Order: sequence, then C-alpha cells, then structure tokens
Amino acid sequence: MRKNLFKKAGAAVLGLVLAGSLLAGCGSGSSATQQGADGPQAEAVEEQAEEAVEESADAGYRTLEQIQADGKINIGVFSDKSPFGYVDENGEYQGYDVYFANRIGQDLGVEIEYVSTEAASRIEYLQTGKVDIILANFTVTPERAEEVDFALPYMNVALGVVSHDDRVIKDLSQVGEDDQIIVISGTTAETYLTKNNPEIKLQKFDTYAAAKSAFENGTGVAWANDNTEVIAFAAENEGYTVGIDSLGSADTIAPAVTKGNESLLNWLNEEIVELGKENFFHADYEATLVDTYGIEFEDTLVIEGGGN
Amino acid sequence: MELLRWDVMRSYLPLYRDAMFLTLRIGWAGILAAIGLGFICALIRHYKIPVLQKIVGIYIELFRNTPLLVQLFFLYFGLPKIGLDIPAEPCGVLGLALLGGAYMAETFRSGLEAVEPIQMESALSLGMTRTQAVLHVILPQAVSISVPAFVANIIFLLKETSVFSAISLMDLMFTAKDLIGLYYKTLECLTLLVVFYLIILLPVSALGSFLERRLRYAGFGD
Repeated sequence: MRKNLFKKAGAAVLGLVLAGSLLAGCGSGSSATQQGADGPQAEAVEEQAEEAVEESADAGYRTLEQIQADGKINIGVFSDKSPFGYVDENGEYQGYDVYFANRIGQDLGVEIEYVSTEAASRIEYLQTGKVDIILANFTVTPERAEEVDFALPYMNVALGVVSHDDRVIKDLSQVGEDDQIIVISGTTAETYLTKNNPEIKLQKFDTYAAAKSAFENGTGVAWANDNTEVIAFAAENEGYTVGIDSLGSADTIAPAVTKGNESLLNWLNEEIVELGKENFFHADYEATLVDTYGIEFEDTLVIEGGGN
Repeated sequence: MELLRWDVMRSYLPLYRDAMFLTLRIGWAGILAAIGLGFICALIRHYKIPVLQKIVGIYIELFRNTPLLVQLFFLYFGLPKIGLDIPAEPCGVLGLALLGGAYMAETFRSGLEAVEPIQMESALSLGMTRTQAVLHVILPQAVSISVPAFVANIIFLLKETSVFSAISLMDLMFTAKDLIGLYYKTLECLTLLVVFYLIILLPVSALGSFLERRLRYAGFGD
C-alpha cells in the first residue's frame, strides 16, 4: 500500500514538472498559443475593440498608454549600489539612476513604484513584465540587446578592478592560481572574465551588499565591476586602490524596456534627447555623483541627449 | 520553435553536476553533524542533565526560530568582524549542522518520550542496568519511532541548501541563477534545476520509505 502510494506520488510530481515545463515552453515562444487554449481568451478575440490591449498583455508588457491610464509606472533600480541606486537612511530611493527615474515619472505624469532588483534578474524582470523600465545601471551589450530593448544611453562605463592597498592588482596576470576575484552574478564584469580570462577563479555573489561585505572581510584578492562602482568604493573606503581603471571595451549605460515595447521605447528616446537640451544629466551628476567622483569625471561619465 | 534547447542544456550539465556535488557534499556533511549533535542534545534533554539541559534548550530555541539565511549571514559576514574568519564551505556545513541539530534534537526527543515508562521499568526489573536498558530497550524503539520525522528533516535540510548562494557557494540554485544572468536561457536553467533537485531528493524519499518499513518494529502491545 505504502509503496503504491509512493509510486503514485512520484508519478504525479514528474507529471506536474513536465506539464509545467511544457506550458512555460510555449510561453517563451509566444504566449498567445498558451492563452489560446483558455475560454476567456477565445471570447476576447471576438471583441475587436479589446484586441490591441489583449495583444500587449500577451507580450508581457504595458504600452505607454496603458501605463498612463494606470497612473503608475514600475521602475527597476538597485537598492544597494551607491551612488547610482540605493536606499538612503530615510528609506527613500536615491542616486544617479533614481534622479533620472523621478524625472521620468514627473514627465509622464504618473506615480513611480520602485522595484529593487539584483543584477542577475534585470532581464527577467522585463521579460516577465514585472517592471516597465530597468534603470539599474544597465550596461548595453549585444547579448542583452537580443533579450531587451535599450533606449539611448545616459552614461559611459568600462570595467575596473579594485584591490587591497598591500597587494594592488595592476594587471590580471598578477592574479595567482589560488587567488579569487569577486564578481557579482549577472554583471558585465562576470561575463567579461568568464569569456576572456577563464583561468581566473571567480567568487560570485548575488548582491552588491554581500560582495562588498565579503571584500571588506578579506575574501578575494580583488573585486571586478563597473569602473564607476570600484572607483566609488575605493574613494569611500580606506585601504583600497583601483589598480585597473579601464578593462575591456568602453560601453554605455541605458534604460531598458521589454523587447517590442515600442511606444515606451520611443517616448524614452524622445525624453532623453529633450533632457539633453537642458543639460539634465550634468545636473543629475552634480546632484548625485559629484561627492564621490569630483567634478573632473563629469564629462567622462555623462552622456547628454543620447550622445547624438 | 523548440520548447527547450537540448544542446544548451547539455552544455550546462557539467556545471550542474559540480553544483550537485557541492550541494551533496555540504548537505551530507552538515546532516551527519546535525544527527550527531541532535542525538546528544536529545539525550541531554530527555534525561534532564543539569546545566547542560538549559544550554541545549536555549540552543534549540535560538536555531529553530531563526532562518538559515540569517544564521549563514551571521556566520559568514558577522563573525569575521570579531576576528573569526570561516571560509564559505565550512560555514555552510556549520550553519546546516547547527540548524539541523536543533531539529534533530526535537525529533529524537519526541521518539524517546514516546517509549512508555513501563518499558524502562520492565527492563530494570529483569535485572538490566540503566545503561543497558537505554541501549538495548529504549533507544532501538525511540530511533524507530523517529524515522519518519527524521527522514523529513533530512529532506528539509537538503532543500535548505538552496540559500547558500547568499554566501557565494555555487550550489544548484546559484548555478541556475548565475547561468540565467549570463546567457538568459531561463527555461532551460530552471528545468535543469528541478531535475537535479529531484535527482538528489527522490532517492532520499525512497530510502526513507524503505527504512520506515524495515525499522517500524517499535510500539509493541499497541
């Protein structure tokens, strides 16, 4: 009896897993096929007026009109990456990305719901429609551009490596066989080192906060990340030096929307060009980044009006 | 379009295999330690050994009522601040052992308490010493009664290993999340994740029901 029960339970579990993966499989290709089996969907098809709305709901994003109609936009930002996106002592989101996000909300005339994201889940958040825009210091790469749509850039970035003062890593060849470099899962630093220096052992963390704590506790010989981030870290903490301040290609950082969300993408692009006319991102820099980087980095980091 | 990219999944297999071995290595080391710790704590509590009984009580309440994630953060990020630097893997084993120990202690204790006092009295009246009675009469029955809860604890602990990503251990969960972040093949990664957890846990469940059938000899006279 017991054995039978166990067999049945096992079969049920396997069945569920298979059914789940099949359903989800349809979803990634075209959620229309998955929805097609539902009764309500068939009815909706007949209602021509609602068709446009249904379509975008199937695609997993909200159009510009829908966002404005709902009166609320969901923006994914970091909550632990000072000075770009972080939560201050009053529980308010602050930073270079957030300053821009606030302006987006203001110009759209909607309320902003901030969603705290981890580096590795930024694409997932967009693909599942849980946020409308990712403004989490998102570096533009060709691989990512296949999964999401990037708007015009608003910041320059490259990779950098920070290490302890007593053993400054100036070149990746100085990293020994037993040494580990800290990276954050889902960042361009991780991708770059995985691809170009597979011999280097990486110690991966899933949040900025955890990576910083571990690095401060003496884990790893160096920490590789966006150069903006490591320069800020070395400036704010005693005993660290940025040995490599530019690694890999010069990249840009841009807002991203769900693939295919053209109305929102076009609005963002126009907004960025428009903001360029008032030198908005210089003002943003001076409000959020100047304390960390000083005035001399302003023109290196800031891109105004999408860089033409 | 294909549902799942099999070639992609095949290329991820070595990473998942490594992650599975890490999960198993830390999982079983932690669980074995937890069984030992739990057994000792249960005996201390059941036979009400002075002073130690109080300490064990505090330990059990402390670790049963805080999440493993918090315990791991404390061990990994907290202790180095007072000069106790434990690498990630021993940290994982220690965290699992301490959490598991608290659960196992309660499981064994409930087993011990389920053995009727008359069993002890009968054993003593037959001329056994107290130690003999505990070893040959009480423990075999107590262990057998604990088996179902004991197996449930093991499965629970193996599943708890999925929070190890917080302290940078590349276990199954972190491997899946990391690969999604690197290559965006969400469905493939998550399917492999489920499959690998089943590979680890189904045999444990099977072993559990086998043990239950073979060891269920207590409860004489019920």
